[in-house]
Amino acid sequence: MAIHEKTLIDPDRILQHDNLVVDGVDVSGSWNTMITPRTLTDYEENFEKIIQSYSGGENVHRCWQCGSCTNSCTMYAQNVDFNPRYWIYLIRLGLKAELLKDKDIIWQCVSCNKCTNICPKDVRPEGVMKATAHWMEDNGLTPKTLSTHFDEEFTHQCIEFGRIEDTEVMMGFFKRSNQPLVQPWIVEFGKRLSKGLPLGQLAKMGMNVVFRPKTKSWGKTGEVLAEYVKAQKEAAHHG
Amino acid sequence: MSAQDTVLVVGAGPSGLSAAATIASMGKKAVVVEKEDVLGGAPIISGYAKLVPSGEWAKDAIGRMVSRVEGDGNVTIHKSTKVSKVEGEAGNFTATLSNGDKVEAGSIVLGTGFTHFDSINKPEWGFGTYEDVLTTSQMEQMVGTGQIRCPSDGRVPERVAILLCVGSRDRQIGREWCSKICCTVSTNLAMEIKEISPSTDVFIYYMDIRTFGLYEDKFYWKSQEEFKTKFVKARIAEVTKSPDGRLLVKGEDTLVKRPIVIPMDIVVHAIGMDPNALNPEIAKTFGIGLEKHGFIDRAEQYTNSQGTTRKGIYVCGAATGPEDIDTSIAQGQSAGSRAVADLFGQQKVAS
Repeated sequence: MAIHEKTLIDPDRILQHDNLVVDGVDVSGSWNTMITPRTLTDYEENFEKIIQSYSGGENVHRCWQCGSCTNSCTMYAQNVDFNPRYWIYLIRLGLKAELLKDKDIIWQCVSCNKCTNICPKDVRPEGVMKATAHWMEDNGLTPKTLSTHFDEEFTHQCIEFGRIEDTEVMMGFFKRSNQPLVQPWIVEFGKRLSKGLPLGQLAKMGMNVVFRPKTKSWGKTGEVLAEYVKAQKEAAHHG
Repeated sequence: MSAQDTVLVVGAGPSGLSAAATIASMGKKAVVVEKEDVLGGAPIISGYAKLVPSGEWAKDAIGRMVSRVEGDGNVTIHKSTKVSKVEGEAGNFTATLSNGDKVEAGSIVLGTGFTHFDSINKPEWGFGTYEDVLTTSQMEQMVGTGQIRCPSDGRVPERVAILLCVGSRDRQIGREWCSKICCTVSTNLAMEIKEISPSTDVFIYYMDIRTFGLYEDKFYWKSQEEFKTKFVKARIAEVTKSPDGRLLVKGEDTLVKRPIVIPMDIVVHAIGMDPNALNPEIAKTFGIGLEKHGFIDRAEQYTNSQGTTRKGIYVCGAATGPEDIDTSIAQGQSAGSRAVADLFGQQKVAS
């Protein structure tokens, strides 16, 4: 039986033997574990539904694997491992483990939407890429993106205080994304700002840090809001 | 001639010719109205080569159908003529023709056919841009000349690529149907090309191969096994030209999961069947409905299989959706018989 060449070059099946001697012959080096079972034994049937529950993934079930998306893909032209057609197939069948082998590149979709324009079944592959990336992020399979960190800090402040405070958003964002709080451009920004001696502005900023502004009668609004957002998210992705 | 012994047949392609012959053979009069100046429909007008599945040349096979009605005293033929108005009702229609004639007919059979998809609507595949990109109809005409040559410079092509589903199965351009016969036609065309030009290799780029029924082994398998046609599972993204003048087909070979840029000498579009471009006009003239894709809508399928949405008007062939020639001919007989049955009295018309 013919063996599909590409399936053999799989990093998780390569074994390294630094000192391997068989029958007096030194066969040290990288070994491909062809003996490890390579058979797929089941489908995760609800996986397609999960991806469909994310915005952009709604039409994934329409795909008939013609490959037009991959053909036209900007990223595929850079890297043939970036293959939307193949990922859509894995999503549809629920071959999650296979899909996750490519989890570190799926986010690279540049949303040029060439695939969306060419797809004869209107699957909207760009949306599927987005939905898949969101699903992976939601489930901690890929690190949070900078924009997610920013969104989270922004949302946190809205819920907590009913409003945002620019400096706090920035600092919170830096903390969440493990960036230094003092960055050269901020220092420069501070220096130039002080040159004009905008005393009132500086005093206001100082006061805001000490007495954190909050929307009047915010009360339990934030809690209710947070609960609602959580319920909506759960209903969308786990319903 | 009176309404009680006459059926009006619109269109003189395989289905209309079949209906006319059937009506005449039952001793009734058929008045055939054809908008073109030749009879035979798409196979003749577009110059088809050998037909599927008989392997007979279109001009011979359809030619026999034409001469059968031309020599029949019960058949009157109006060429270069259209029906411009239909009055009356089932059992007693009066049709006014574009030449001013009036035809009284008890029932009407429409064999108004289809329109070939215009490849200009898929510009990424190079038709209209490169001389060596052709449609299946054009390639069949070339087969008819007995020589396979690149239109650009007359060289014998080393490789021909046939792209399936051009203008079919494509939501982007509102063609949500399979044109039914292009797969078989393409596998057949590959064999015809190979027969004329043994040094030419033919590649068929497909999403699915739908050589239905007995066409599976007679065309698909035969083309692959005996004529060495190569089948590649890839929907081509674009056709461009390389500096040496050859065409390049670009896409993803989905089975190998690799991008392909393959040089070709001729690229053939397996064009699909659109609803007849005149269907809106036909629907208005005859007072009948169209289905959602724009083909002629049908009546209740099991007891009135050739009926349209209007009593006394029947339809056959590719007017109701993509259809092969054999089935169109069978439907022509069916619609013809049905229309003649109507001449014997209203009670015979199923609702």
